[in-house]
This record gives sequence, structure tokens and C-alpha cells, in this order.
Amino acid sequence: MNRAAAALCAMGAALCCSVAADGLWAKRAGTGPDLLTADDAFRLEAVERQGDSLNVSWNIAPGYYLYRKRLAFQAVQPAGTSLAPPLLPKGELVQDEHEGQTEVYHGALQAQLHWRAGSAVPQRLQVSYQGCAEAGVCYPPQTRLIDVIDLQGTAPDPK
Amino acid sequence: MRSILLIVAAAIVAVAAGIGAFYVYCAYRNSHAAGAPAAEPLPAGLELRDLDGHPRRFEEWRGKLLLVNFWATWCTPCMHEIPELVKLQSQYSAKGLQVVGAAVDDPDAVRGAVGPLGINYPVLTDSPDAMIGLMEKLGNGPGALPFSVLVSPDGHVLERQLGEFKPAELTALVESHLPPAR
Repeated sequence: MNRAAAALCAMGAALCCSVAADGLWAKRAGTGPDLLTADDAFRLEAVERQGDSLNVSWNIAPGYYLYRKRLAFQAVQPAGTSLAPPLLPKGELVQDEHEGQTEVYHGALQAQLHWRAGSAVPQRLQVSYQGCAEAGVCYPPQTRLIDVIDLQGTAPDPK
Repeated sequence: MRSILLIVAAAIVAVAAGIGAFYVYCAYRNSHAAGAPAAEPLPAGLELRDLDGHPRRFEEWRGKLLLVNFWATWCTPCMHEIPELVKLQSQYSAKGLQVVGAAVDDPDAVRGAVGPLGINYPVLTDSPDAMIGLMEKLGNGPGALPFSVLVSPDGHVLERQLGEFKPAELTALVESHLPPAR
């Protein structure tokens, strides 16, 4: 019976080898490093309203980063809504060959926004961002329209 | 009973090993075919605009070894690679190489960068969506930069590179595909 178990283990190992070999060669056959699309590398999670602030969050994949100076926010709905300058966390300071000293974000990122006094509560935002992969490529600037989720479920009030 | 079990297990192991070997063979064949001269033709009718807005068709460079480099001013690795492309254009243009820059960027930003970078080859562009669509058509799934495509004098894609080329590898690649001297 022990021999039968050993044979089954060998069979499993052989199957694993064949799958691993497939994966290895599939990577080598590509056009360069295995890279994510911008949407997967810089996952824009949500825009949530909590009280008088809007929180915009990203989940940045390991090995990728966003530039702080290329984050931009605009309220697009309702008409006439406007935002104050965003409150952004301190990024990691890096020396970029062409950008000079600049701040970048890795991992989880959250930006806090406030709407200007007298402006209606934003219902829909235009969010722009741009980043790169540590592997040595960069992604074109991304712009997304995203609805605000009201976590309190309250009706929007003019501030 | 045990010997039957062993025979069955050995047969399954042999089949699994065979499948593995087949996968390796297929992947090896595909990876090497990517750089072979018999690769797929460049899609017909590709056209961009120069920085003065004039249309330029890729067919214009048929008969030359064409290196199309997608880049942008916001892309540090692209900016790092450009001096190497400038050097290559100087060194090999008389031998049949033509570098073309395809900018995925705002035309004003591109105009402002061409002089300081000393770019000595045509720089073309189009709307961001059109440029991303073109890169996708040429095999750049992630849509990242820099992205380069080497096209043979008869219009076939010889090589694709996502990310910077290593200078020595790029020189060797160009030298190995230059058209024969006339």
C-alpha cells in the first residue's frame, strides 16, 4: 500500500511540474515583464461621503506606485459643485531621474476631499491619476467618473 | 493487486510527464517564433499625425528597418531610453534603420521635449484613445510605456518590447535585421 501511495505522490509531482513548466514558459513568451493593466495596478475602490468629507481610496498593487502630483479631483455633478484642494497623505519621497524629487504612493491610499462653502454636496466626481510599475514602465494618465456613496444615507444638504 | 496499482500509477505519471514536455515544447516554439522574420505583418493602413498635424502612414518607411517607439514626457523610463534611440538613428540611418517616435502625450508637451532631447527622427501622435488603441493592436495589452515594435523592411513585426531595451541588446537586434546593403 505504501508503494501505491508513493506512486500517487509521484503522479502529483509530475502534474505539478507540467503546470509549473507551462507557467514559466508562458511568462518567457510574453512581450516583457508580466504587467497588470492600469485598472488592476491602481484599483480605484470608492468615493465615500462621511459627514462633510469625501474619501477617495485606491488599492495599489505591490510593485506599482502613483505620483502624488498627478492626482486630480473635480466634482462634475450636480452642476456648479466645487471642491476645496484635496487633503493627501504624505507620500514616499523619491528621486526621479526626470521628475526630480517627488512623492509617490504605494499600497493603500486615501484622499480626503471637502466641498466649498455654499456648494452642493458632490454626487459624482472625476478622478485623475497616473503611476508606474517598479519593473520600469509607466501608464498613461487615467481619468474615471465615479459616483459618491453616501455612507450615512442622508439626503445631500447644501453646506 | 499492488502490481496493477503500480502499473496504473506509472502510466499516469508517464502521461503527466508527456503533457509537461509538450507544454514546454509548445511554449519554447512560440517564444522563439516571436522574433522570427516570418512573424505577422504590421496591420495595414496605420497612420498617425506629425507635430504639424500632417498625416504620416507607416507604409512610408517600407524598405527600411522600422523601430516604432511609443513614449511620453510623463514616462521616466521612456525619457531615459530616448538618447539611446537618438544614437541608434545617427549610427544606422544610412544603413537602413528608421526610428519613429509615437508620443502618447499632449502635443504641446511633446513639442517642448523634442528639442531638448535632441530627437533626430519623426515624432508622431494622435488622440490618447487612438494611441492606446494602436498600442493594443500592436500587442501591448497592459497599455504601458515605453513600448517598441521593430518592423522588417517588408513590413513584418520582428520584435516587441514592453519596457526599455538594454542598449547592447537593441544594437545587436538592429544589426541583425538591417536590410542588405545596396
